[in-house]
Amino acid sequence: MRYKDYYATLGVARNASEDDIKKAYRKLARKYHPDVSKETDAEEKFKEVSEAYETLRDKEKRAAYDELGRHAPGEQFQPPPGWERSFGEQPSGGGGSFSFDDIDLADLFAGLGGRARGGPRRPDMPIPGQDFEAAVRISFDQAYKGTEVEFDMSVAEPDDNGVLRRVPRKVRVRIPKGVTSGQKLRVPGKGGKGINGGRDGDLYLDIDVQTHPLYRAEGLDLYMDLPLAPWEAVLGASVEVPTPAGRVTLKVPPGTQAGRKLRLSGRGLARPDGTSGHLYAVAQIVVPTVVDERQRALYGELRDQTAFDPRAHMV
Amino acid sequence: MVKIESSTAVVLDDSGTITVAELVEQSGLSEDELAVLVDCGALEPREREGASWRFSAHCVVTARTARRLRDDFALDDTHALAILLRLMQRIENLELELRRRRWER
Repeated sequence: MRYKDYYATLGVARNASEDDIKKAYRKLARKYHPDVSKETDAEEKFKEVSEAYETLRDKEKRAAYDELGRHAPGEQFQPPPGWERSFGEQPSGGGGSFSFDDIDLADLFAGLGGRARGGPRRPDMPIPGQDFEAAVRISFDQAYKGTEVEFDMSVAEPDDNGVLRRVPRKVRVRIPKGVTSGQKLRVPGKGGKGINGGRDGDLYLDIDVQTHPLYRAEGLDLYMDLPLAPWEAVLGASVEVPTPAGRVTLKVPPGTQAGRKLRLSGRGLARPDGTSGHLYAVAQIVVPTVVDERQRALYGELRDQTAFDPRAHMV
Repeated sequence: MVKIESSTAVVLDDSGTITVAELVEQSGLSEDELAVLVDCGALEPREREGASWRFSAHCVVTARTARRLRDDFALDDTHALAILLRLMQRIENLELELRRRRWER
C-alpha cells in the first residue's frame, strides 16, 4: 500500500485543530471543486483534498491514520503490527489475516466509517456500503427502446472473514425505455457491500443520450424539423416522414407557416408504464436555390397575380 | 470467472414516490436537514399528511446534490445550502432553456 500524506495535501501541521483542518479544506475546495474551478487539473486535485479531509475530519479515522506513522508520499508501507485489531474490521470467521497489498489508503479508511456524521463507532455497528456513480452514454435508439449496459468494477469489499480486498465485479443493468439526457437512475444494492449487516450501497447512473441527427428530446416529447417546399406550405400536402417507430404519412394543412408544430400523437418516447410523449414536426419553408427559365417565369407570374405582402405589418 | 449480477435501474423522475425514510437513506441527509430544505422550498413534498411526507423520486437527485454540496464544501449552514440549491436549480433551468432555444434557431 502506498502512503499519502493527508496533512501535506491539506497544507496543515500534524497537530492542526479540527477547525484549522476544516478551514484549510474549505479554501482548497473553493479553489479546486470542479463546479467552480478553472484550474486544468481541478478534478484530480479536488479528489486528493477531499480524500484527505474525509479521513482527517473524523476523529477515529484521524487517530487510525496517525497510527500508521510518517512515511514519504508514495512510499510502500505496511501498517504497524496490531493496527488492524485496533482500527480495522474484525474478521468475523476467526483466523482471518489482513492483506494491505491490493487496496489503497482510501479503501482502508472508507471501511472505517459510516455515512453518518460524527459520533463514536462501535466495532459491530452496521456500516452501509458506499454508493457508486457512473456516467452512461447510450444511443438515441437505445434510449427509445431500452437497453442493457455492463459495468466492470474493481471494488474493495470484505471477504467471508471480514478482510477488505479489492475484487472484480461485473454488473449488468437494464435501462428502461424512455430515458433522456441528464436523468439519473438508481440501481438498488449494486454499490459497495455493507459491513456488519449494513445495507449495500446503490449504483447511480448519469444518462447521456447521444445527439440524433433528426430528433431532439424534451421530456418524453420529441421534436424534428420538417422541411417543406413553398407550394406544400401554401397548398397543404401529405408528406411521408420518419419517426423512431417507422415512416408515417403526415398531413400538412394549407397555409402552414414556418415554425408551426405539427403533432404526431403518441410518437414520442414511451415509458414502461405506458405514458408516452408526442413527436412534433416543426415546419421549415425551404426554397429552391436553382430555378430554370420556366420556373422563374412561373414565380414571376405568381408575384404579379397576388396581393400578398408579408411585410404589411411593418408599414 | 466473474459472476454477472443483473439488475434493473429505476429512473429517478416524477413518476414514482418515496417516503422520508427512503429519502434519508438514499440521500445521506438527515431528516432535520431535509425539513430545512422543505421549509426553504428547495424540496417539495408531493404529499404532506402529518409526519408521513412522500416525495417524488426526483427529489433523490436534488437531495443527493445537496449532500454532495454539503460535503464537498464542508457547509454547516443548511439554510445557506438550501439557497445554494435553489440557485443551482435556476442555473439548470436556464441552461435547459438555452439549449432549447439553440435547437429552435
